[in-house]
Amino acid sequence: MKRPQQPLSQEEQRKRGRSYLTWALLVLTFLAVIALPTMIVMFFGLLPTLVAWIVDRTKGKAASITVGSVNFIGVFPYIMNLWTDFNSVDRALGMVSDIFTLLVMYSAAAFGWLMFLSMPSGISSFVLVLQQRKVAALRGEQKDLIEEWGPDVASLVEMQKMEKQEAHMELGMEGIELEVLD
Amino acid sequence: MAEALDQAVETAESQEGTPTPQEGEGGVVPSADSPGETREQATAGTSPDGAGAQTSGPTGPPDKITAQTPKAKAPKAEPEKPKEETSASPIVKSTGIPIPDLGGPLPQLDPGKYPPILVNGRYLVSPSMALPELNSPSALAYVAEDRREPGRQLFALICKPGLPVRIRLMAELKNQMIHGMIPIVDYGPVLWTPIEQTAIVVIFERPLGGRFIDAFGEHAPKINEYEIGKMLIEPVAHAVSSLSQLDFAHRAIRIDNLFFMDKEKRELVLGECFTSPAGFDQPMIYEPLDRAYAMPSGRGAGMSYDDMYALGILLLFTLQGYNPIARMSDEEMLAQKAEKGSYQCLCGNERIPLAMIEPLRGLLSDDDFERWNMEALEQWLNGQKKTPIQRRPAERPKTAFKFSGRELRTTRSIAYAFSKNVPEAIKVIKNGKLEQWLRSSLSASDIAEGISAVLAISKIHENSPDGADEVLVSKVCMRLDPHAPIRYKNFAFMPDGFGTAVAVEYLRKGNFQIPGEILARDLLSYWFAAQHSQSPDLVAQEKAFQTLRGFAKINEWGYGMERCLYELNSSLPCQSDLLRLTYVGHTDDLLNALDGVADQIDAQTRPMDKHIAAYIATHFKYDITPHLKAMTDPKEETSLIGMLSLFALMQWRMKIESLLGLSSWLGGLLSPAIGTYHSRTTRRKIEQEIPALVRKGSLPELFDLIDNADRRQKDTQDFEEAQVAFAHAEAEIESIVGEGVDQEKAALQTGEKVTSMIAIVISMIATTVIIFVSAI
Repeated sequence: MKRPQQPLSQEEQRKRGRSYLTWALLVLTFLAVIALPTMIVMFFGLLPTLVAWIVDRTKGKAASITVGSVNFIGVFPYIMNLWTDFNSVDRALGMVSDIFTLLVMYSAAAFGWLMFLSMPSGISSFVLVLQQRKVAALRGEQKDLIEEWGPDVASLVEMQKMEKQEAHMELGMEGIELEVLD
Repeated sequence: MAEALDQAVETAESQEGTPTPQEGEGGVVPSADSPGETREQATAGTSPDGAGAQTSGPTGPPDKITAQTPKAKAPKAEPEKPKEETSASPIVKSTGIPIPDLGGPLPQLDPGKYPPILVNGRYLVSPSMALPELNSPSALAYVAEDRREPGRQLFALICKPGLPVRIRLMAELKNQMIHGMIPIVDYGPVLWTPIEQTAIVVIFERPLGGRFIDAFGEHAPKINEYEIGKMLIEPVAHAVSSLSQLDFAHRAIRIDNLFFMDKEKRELVLGECFTSPAGFDQPMIYEPLDRAYAMPSGRGAGMSYDDMYALGILLLFTLQGYNPIARMSDEEMLAQKAEKGSYQCLCGNERIPLAMIEPLRGLLSDDDFERWNMEALEQWLNGQKKTPIQRRPAERPKTAFKFSGRELRTTRSIAYAFSKNVPEAIKVIKNGKLEQWLRSSLSASDIAEGISAVLAISKIHENSPDGADEVLVSKVCMRLDPHAPIRYKNFAFMPDGFGTAVAVEYLRKGNFQIPGEILARDLLSYWFAAQHSQSPDLVAQEKAFQTLRGFAKINEWGYGMERCLYELNSSLPCQSDLLRLTYVGHTDDLLNALDGVADQIDAQTRPMDKHIAAYIATHFKYDITPHLKAMTDPKEETSLIGMLSLFALMQWRMKIESLLGLSSWLGGLLSPAIGTYHSRTTRRKIEQEIPALVRKGSLPELFDLIDNADRRQKDTQDFEEAQVAFAHAEAEIESIVGEGVDQEKAALQTGEKVTSMIAIVISMIATTVIIFVSAI
């Protein structure tokens, strides 16, 4: 059985963020050393993704992932070109200075944004319908249980609710006391 | 018939507490307000014949029984009539010999309406053929017939319902005939149709010569000293001796209880002694002093030396032909006996034949250990001389003790007077006059110290029931007269008579108020402690009373005073209201009796009450403590299962084949017990199976169906699983639509997540395609 994860404190989160940044910089430095042309194309090609990452406030950075994935489709043919043809910094710079290339890459990113802005609302409507059906099924299951075992079958739930209520009341009382003390 | 019965009931009610003529006023019946007999002798009630008009006096049956009598709608009270004194001949009346009321001629009953009743499948007793000349004080006589031996001369005594009878003694004497005692043929309970109640019937060989006192016709019942030995002493002594060997005492030796078995009037026998508690019917004069102080129901089983005393009185009456102290009231008689001694009191002014002085002196000794025993009597009968007993009158005080306007000279008399006047007694006890008199006039400093100890303890418990005036006076009386009965609130009994006293008290009043208080105050232990010598019998009795006290304290089914009632009266039938029309004298009969009444009782009434539980707890030989515990449980279902399990255990242990009525009765009550199963399916299944088991009449199977361990365990396990499943479903629902959950936001987040996943997949596919295209 999985143990419930404890929420991380702000200090811990900051430490962990610093650690990730350090690792990312190390990897990027390493890649810049061994594959600088690719890194140049990727840096300029994936700039919309970087911007998306910065402005993204969605849970799990869903917007960044969507934009990044589609953006990568626009960047990848040029990287392949580099890898299969002539892999040099000049060529890479040539690519990123070509307006058509950038148009392809950024159009892909724009398509990613379009996708992110249009699809979730449709999917959420579908999910809402599914959830309603699920709740109805669960209520039906509970009704069957009550019919077979009587109202006492809900005693565990009632007890949990009571405990929750008591805990809530205690917290409320503590809050009131603290306010009075203040 | 019913009217006559009703009249009897009314008569019983109207006579309660009514004074009746005193013995000294020419009556020959013990007076109702005579000492010790007030509680019982002042009440009369239904008699087994159902007419009952002639029944009054010492053997009135309990009020409860009269109240239970069917059709007992009392008419308006009639003016009180003087009590019928005796059925004895006028000449006997003039002798002053006390004779209990034996009942007179009964109204003729219609043989068509009251046909003969079969007893034990063999004997026919005819309610329409009364034999008043053979009545006993507590039982009426009827003609009986043996179906196997037509022509056999028998008669039956119908015991008054509710009065404890001496079943154990009946059982012993049925198996062995005792020379000198009327032969008992059989006994058993029957539904006595004239009163519609179950009564014990005892069948005897018929004494063809009739009653001893009737044989004298117009003359006084007198036998000279030359004939009395062979004619009277020998048969009576033989009967007493034989009974003593069986560890019983007769306790009903009196002049009217002697019969001639043969027409020639040669074979004299003692009459019956089973139809009432020991000593219950005896006029007070026949009782040794200590037992005479007790109320009739509390006189106790006694021992053979109590019979010897009664024999002494019988001898005196038959020698003299009259009662020498007929003019004395019972109270005066007791005071005289206490101060002078019984012999001196009775024979002091009489001309006693020389040869009879020693036996009378020996038999009438007030000291149990000095009193002649059987051996001494036999020696005398064989002509051997015994050392004469020196008369030792009670120690005379320097001055008399004045109490309630009387001058008392013995501690016995004082104790008796105190018990009759508690408010006055408490004054003289508390102001120290009694102690002072004991020390200065009687030089009895040990008694005085005992009383001061009682007072000191009473002060400690001043505001508790243990310190009540009645308790204090009772204890002081025990100190003053240790051999006398325990006397508390006019409830006077010898310890060996506590059982019958409790039974009669309950049957009369329907409650255990005073006996319960006696046990709670532990007065019995105090009595035992006050005895100068501690015999093994006394120690055993004290231990038994401690056990009873423990029972009385527990206010649960199977315990309490009901348990004490049955522990003390092993032959008392179950007194449950459910079984009032049947006679349950054994646990084997109980289930069948309940089975029999099942269809006559409201189906919602449980076949269990305090009496049934106590009766089973007393008589059933297996441990039923867990069952009793369950039955007392406040939860109805637990209590029902406890009751069913107890009855099932009884049916199984007693190997009773089928109890259809009881099964049906219990089956109808089991809904709450079935409700203890959580699963509706299981409940339905059980409900469907019950009718089949009810038709089998098997309580063990019914119990197994209701309380099967495997089924219950599975039900519990499944229920727990269902609870968990319900909680999981609830948690899932909560996670979807619970409080604080923004469903749309969550759905949108899901959509965003799905979109990002789709984008990743598309990216991967596109990348793969590009790689392939580049490779080509």
